Amino acid sequence: MARLSIDHLRKVYGEFHAVDDFSIAIAEGEFLVLLGPSGCGKTTTLRMVAGFIQPTAGRITIGERDVTALPPWKRNCGLVFQSYALFPHMTVAENVAFGLEMRKIAPADRAPRVAEALRLVQLTGFDERYPRQLSGGQQQRVALARALAMEPDVLLLDEPLSNLDAKLRQEVRVEIRDLQRKLGLTTIMVTHDQEEALTMADRLVVMEKGKVRQIGSQRELYEKPADRFVAGFIGRSAFLDGAVAEAGRFRTGGGLDIRCTATASGPATLALRPERLAIGAEAEACANRFPARVEHVSYLGALLDIDVRLTEQDRILLQMPNRPGAAEPKPGDMITIGWAEDAGLVYPREA
Amino acid sequence: MSAVPEPVAGARTSLAGMLVIPATLFVAIGLIGPIAILFRYSLNQFIPGQFMVDGLTIENYVKFFTDSFYLNVLWRTVRVAVICTVICLIMGFPLAYVLARTESRFKNLLIMLVVLPLFVGNAVRAAGWMTAFGSKGALNASLMGLGLIDQPLEIMFTETAVIIGIIAVNLPFMVLTLQSVIEGINRNVEEAAFSLGAGPAAMFARVLWPLAMPGILAGTILTFILAMNAYATPVLLGGPKFQTMGPLVYGQFAQQNNWPFGGAISFILMTATLLLTVAANLIVQRRYR
Repeated sequence: MARLSIDHLRKVYGEFHAVDDFSIAIAEGEFLVLLGPSGCGKTTTLRMVAGFIQPTAGRITIGERDVTALPPWKRNCGLVFQSYALFPHMTVAENVAFGLEMRKIAPADRAPRVAEALRLVQLTGFDERYPRQLSGGQQQRVALARALAMEPDVLLLDEPLSNLDAKLRQEVRVEIRDLQRKLGLTTIMVTHDQEEALTMADRLVVMEKGKVRQIGSQRELYEKPADRFVAGFIGRSAFLDGAVAEAGRFRTGGGLDIRCTATASGPATLALRPERLAIGAEAEACANRFPARVEHVSYLGALLDIDVRLTEQDRILLQMPNRPGAAEPKPGDMITIGWAEDAGLVYPREA
Repeated sequence: MSAVPEPVAGARTSLAGMLVIPATLFVAIGLIGPIAILFRYSLNQFIPGQFMVDGLTIENYVKFFTDSFYLNVLWRTVRVAVICTVICLIMGFPLAYVLARTESRFKNLLIMLVVLPLFVGNAVRAAGWMTAFGSKGALNASLMGLGLIDQPLEIMFTETAVIIGIIAVNLPFMVLTLQSVIEGINRNVEEAAFSLGAGPAAMFARVLWPLAMPGILAGTILTFILAMNAYATPVLLGGPKFQTMGPLVYGQFAQQNNWPFGGAISFILMTATLLLTVAANLIVQRRYR
């Protein structure tokens, strides 16, 4: 199985930079997820790897092979589409055999490989069915089997779970992940679904407006978001606008003085994870303590989401576990909230 | 799939059902009636001077199938129709594909351009071709002016002229029919074929063509029927010596006053069209089922 590397990949449509200087090296058997809001360039990147879009600049290498100028049919990338894109006029077996047929593999040698691919996706016995006779989840698995049967160098998944209902999505997610590990397939998946990305990936790339914002593991993205966008996109963050007055001091627009770990002074934004905030007695021990007025409480079952106002301009969201016996704040209550010095992440802001 | 739509809301369905009555009556009275009468006429006798004598004879059909002149006309008509249909398909498919897949904001304009020739009647268009094809026409004048040929090309009053003329009429029908079907084929299916190692030719043969088959059938049937029954184009571009079935029927009715024979020719034309269409359908469906 080949290693995939992308060097300074760029796609420009007139004035619009769909993908701007994308570089990454993907290890053998790695599951990489491209994550970002719609229009961030993740699908364009995937389609360039598949060969459907010619890059404006840059290089794509699969193993030792430079595939940048190759047409899609010479790349050996297994592709699974959001719409499945099964051939409606062929049976399941014919669909799965298609890639083998195109590689001029003799019919007698195709059969066992088709059977093996269908066994992997647990669709043994569905050979003679037509796609229209299958459920969405089954069609998805046929699409996967079709891509696997040709033993691709790289597996590309384009929002493969978006058309499935929530419960099925979770099952297929695990199935795809298990299969990918078992076969050691180098895989790139595109998704806008954060939960999907976090549960499946070995490594994630967060993209926005054609640019790579951060590449890292789930933990790195959540604990150390590279910028304000990532802090808001991966998990939730409350943002306080203000400025770093001196090393270790952040002053909000509303006049709060917050201890932080930032050193460079200038206009900045402080990001706080809602579950890293302490409330009431626990808050007393924190480096940062402020009185706050409860504005709104959302009951989420296991958790409570509480919107609090610190000053006229400074509002934050905090999250507390829903424990029996714990006093549940009510809108209008005055409470104390606090957080550690290193809980707030400071991002410089262009003035 | 059921042919009868699911009833919607109780009482209203009967009212909705009544809406099909005008079209049904129109077809029954306006089409089936006259055809039945025509068939009856084709079994009558024709005695010059007496116009039409009631009878029950197949002599009109025998006359057609035993006279090599008429058989030649039928063969020529079928040949021209098949050639036109095949060329329409070959030229129309790429055009329909581009129209179906384009994301240009001028898409509607492009479709209008394809339809535009239909805004001009067949006779007017054929007259236009006449001025282009004549020995002193635009085409010959241009080619001779450029020094590409010494003698004017003989296009006018040939089979070539008729074929060009009919293709010009029929191409929009083929393109529009194919375009609507190709638009319904998911683009990702083509891409899936490419990613699985199919080059453009293999993708076309194994995926696009079979999936476009309903449109190909509808388009070829439509253009074949139109070509078989063409009237103005063969008359104006083919001239008096180039006889096809359409003008032959007209001649028997309007010039020879031989209604029984005209009726018989009409039926032979209709049956030939129908048989060839059904045969082509069966062959194609057997291959692409």
